[in-house]
Amino acid sequence: MRVRYIAAVCLVAALAVTVSAATAAPSRSTARSITVWLQTDAQNGWPDIVASVNSQFEKDHPGVKVNVQYQQWTQHLTKFDATLAGGNAPDVIEMGNSEMTKYMAAGAFQDITSSKSSFANSSNWLSGLQKAATYGGHLYGVPYYAGSRVVTYRTDLFKKAGISKPPTSLAQFTVDAKKLAAKNTAKGFSPVYIAGPDWYVAMGFVYDYGGQIAKTFKGKWIGTLNSPKAIAGLTAYKNFFNVASHASKTQDEAHPFPYTVYAQGLVGAMPGPTWVTCCNLLGKYTKASAQFVMPSHTAGKPMPGFLGGSDLAVPVGANKALAVDWIKDFTDTATEKALQAKGNIPNATNLLGDSVNERAAARSWFIPSSKNWVNVENGNILRSMLTQILTGKLTVKQAATFASQNITSVLNG
Amino acid sequence: MSSSQVPDRAAVGAEITPPWSRRRRRRSPWQRAGNSSVPYLLVLPVLAAIGAVLAYPLYKLVVISFQKYGLFELIRRHGTWVGLDNYRSVLGDGVFWRTLERTVVFTIANVGLTMLLGTLIALLLVRVSSLVRVLLTVGLVLVWSMPVVAVQVWYWMTNYQNGVLNYFLTEVHLGDYFQHDWYATNFSKLAMVTALIVWGAIPFVTITVYAGLAQVPSELVEAAEIDGAGPLRVFRDVTFPVLKPILLILTSLSIIWDFGVFAQPWLLVTASGWNASNYLMGVYVYIEGYAHSDFGRGAAISLLMLLIVALLSVFYVRQMVKTEEAG
Repeated sequence: MRVRYIAAVCLVAALAVTVSAATAAPSRSTARSITVWLQTDAQNGWPDIVASVNSQFEKDHPGVKVNVQYQQWTQHLTKFDATLAGGNAPDVIEMGNSEMTKYMAAGAFQDITSSKSSFANSSNWLSGLQKAATYGGHLYGVPYYAGSRVVTYRTDLFKKAGISKPPTSLAQFTVDAKKLAAKNTAKGFSPVYIAGPDWYVAMGFVYDYGGQIAKTFKGKWIGTLNSPKAIAGLTAYKNFFNVASHASKTQDEAHPFPYTVYAQGLVGAMPGPTWVTCCNLLGKYTKASAQFVMPSHTAGKPMPGFLGGSDLAVPVGANKALAVDWIKDFTDTATEKALQAKGNIPNATNLLGDSVNERAAARSWFIPSSKNWVNVENGNILRSMLTQILTGKLTVKQAATFASQNITSVLNG
Repeated sequence: MSSSQVPDRAAVGAEITPPWSRRRRRRSPWQRAGNSSVPYLLVLPVLAAIGAVLAYPLYKLVVISFQKYGLFELIRRHGTWVGLDNYRSVLGDGVFWRTLERTVVFTIANVGLTMLLGTLIALLLVRVSSLVRVLLTVGLVLVWSMPVVAVQVWYWMTNYQNGVLNYFLTEVHLGDYFQHDWYATNFSKLAMVTALIVWGAIPFVTITVYAGLAQVPSELVEAAEIDGAGPLRVFRDVTFPVLKPILLILTSLSIIWDFGVFAQPWLLVTASGWNASNYLMGVYVYIEGYAHSDFGRGAAISLLMLLIVALLSVFYVRQMVKTEEAG
C-alpha cells in the first residue's frame, strides 16, 4: 500500500514539473476543469447558450472541462459559504446584484479590475450592474444580464373579456381585472396572478407612490416603509391583490411558480420576469401570450420595476486566468445578443433595443445598498409584512411600522 | 442488576467455578493486567473514531463561540477572540427567549403525541391478527426508512394551489377546502410540521415498544385479568412498569431530536415562510449562523441549545437510573 502511495506522489510531482515546464507552451495539455455556478434561470431559460459557450471555451482551452452546476437562488449563498470555508469554492459564481456587497466587503472575490478592458462592451456596462460589482473602487464582478419585470398575459382571454388593448394605468388594469373575473368563473382563476408575499411586485407599488424601503441619514440607515407615501403604495397593492389575485397570501412566488398556474389556464395575466415565454413554460398557452409593461397609477407611465440582474464573480482560491477567460466568452457581444433574444436585458447600453423588457426598465427601483441587506431578505421581513397586510392580521400601518423598525435595526446591525 | 447483587453473584460463581476458570487465576499479575486492559484496547478504535468525528468539531464549536467569526473570518479561516460577546448578545436578544419558549412547547407537543400514538399502535399490534401485524409493521418500517426528502411529498400534498389533500377533503364532502391554506398562520405552520414529525417518529417508538411488550410476562397479565383488573388497570400496574425504562429512553431520545429539528420544518414551510415570530431553535440557529453569516453567534446558540437539551434530559436520565436501581 505504502509503496503505491509513494509511487503516486512521485507521479504527481513528476507531472507538476512537466506542467510548470510546459506553461510557456501555447496549449496546456493536462486535463483540468473549472467549476461554474449559474442559477437555474440559465438551466430553464437558456441552456443552449451555456452549452455553446462551453464548447467554444473547451475548444479554445484544450483539456479544460467546464463543469456547470446549477444553483437555486434561495440556497446558493449557504452552499457558497460552505465552499469558502472548505477552500473549494467554484471558479465562477453568478451572484444577484443585491448579493454582491456583503461578499465583496468580506473579501470573497478576486480583484479583476486589471482585466476590465478585456471584456466586451465593458465601457458601456449597465451602471446598475457595474456599481453592484464595484467595492472600494475595485471591480469584483462582470455584469451578466439584467431583467426588468413585465406583465405576461393571455391575449385570447383579454379579447374575450372585451379588452382591446393592454392597460396603461393601474386604474384601467383594475377595471380589466374585474372584466376578466366576470368572464372566467373557473374556480381558482386569477385575473392577475400575484403570489401574496411577492415583495418584488409589492415594492413596485411602494416606489410608484413615491415611497422607498429605506434611506440613509447621517450615515445611518432608516427603514421608511411607514412613510405616508409608502403606506399609500402598500394600500394600493393590497387593494389590487384583493381584486385580481387568488394566489396564496403566505406562499412565495416559487411555491408554486406563477407560470405553472398560468400553464393550467388559471391566470389572465401575471407580473414577472420576461423569460417565462421561453421553453414551453406556459404550455399550450405560449402562442396566446404577449407581454406589456406594468402600468403606473399615473396614466401612461410604467410602474417602477425591480431591476434585477446578475454579475459573474471569481471567488478567492479560484483559477483566475481560466475563470476570466470563461467569463469573457460568456459575456461577449454574441452571447449577450442571444440572451437579449431570450427576453433579457443585455449587459451594456450599446446593445439595448426597444423590447418590452427594455421599455419597462425605463423606471426601476433597487434594494438599499447596505452589506446587511441580505439579512433583511433572509429574515423575510418584507414577506411577513405583506402576509400580515393581506391576511388582515395587522393594518397596513401597523405592519409597515413593524417592518420598518426591523429593517432599520438589521441594516445598521 | 443492582450493585448489592454483584457480590452475591460472585459468591455463587465461586461455588461452582469450573476448572478452566481456576487455572486462569494462577496466571501472573502481568498476564492479568494484560487481560483487564483487553476490553479497553477493544473500545479504543471506537473512542478514537468518536473523538475524531465528535470531539474535534465540538471543540471547534466552543472556540468559534468565543470569537467574532463572520464571512470575513470564514474566508481567512481564523476568527478574533471576543470573550463572552456572542453569548451576551444572544441572551440579550428577545427573539432567542421567545424562540426557546416556542420550541419547548413544540417539543412537548411533538414528543407527547409521538409517545402516545406510538405506544397505542404498539399495543394494537399485540392484539391484531398476524397478517395485519405484518402489514402494519411493513408500513411502519417503510415510513421509518423514508429519507427526509419525503417532506417534499408532504409539501405537494398540502399545497395551496394543487394539493391533493384539499382536493380529497373537498371530494369527500368534508367542507370546501378549495385553496385552503395549510400554512396561513404561524400556528398552522407549526401544526403541519408537528404532523410531519410525529408521522416520521411513530415507527421507531412503536417498534421499540412492541419489542418491549414481548417482555411483559403473559402469566402476570392473565393473573391480573382473573383478579378482575380491566385493560387500563392491567396497563398501569403490569405493562407500564415493565415498559417504563424503554419509554423513558424513547422519550429522552425524542426530546433530543425534536428540540433541535431542522430539516423537516425548513423544507416543509420553505425558506420564505420563516420569520422572527415563528422560529424553532433549529431554524433560528441556521438563520443567525448561516443566513446572516455570523458563525460565532451561531456557535454560541448551538452550545446553549446543547446545554438546554442536556438539562431537559437530565430529569429522564435520573428517572432511568432510579428505575435501574429499583429493578
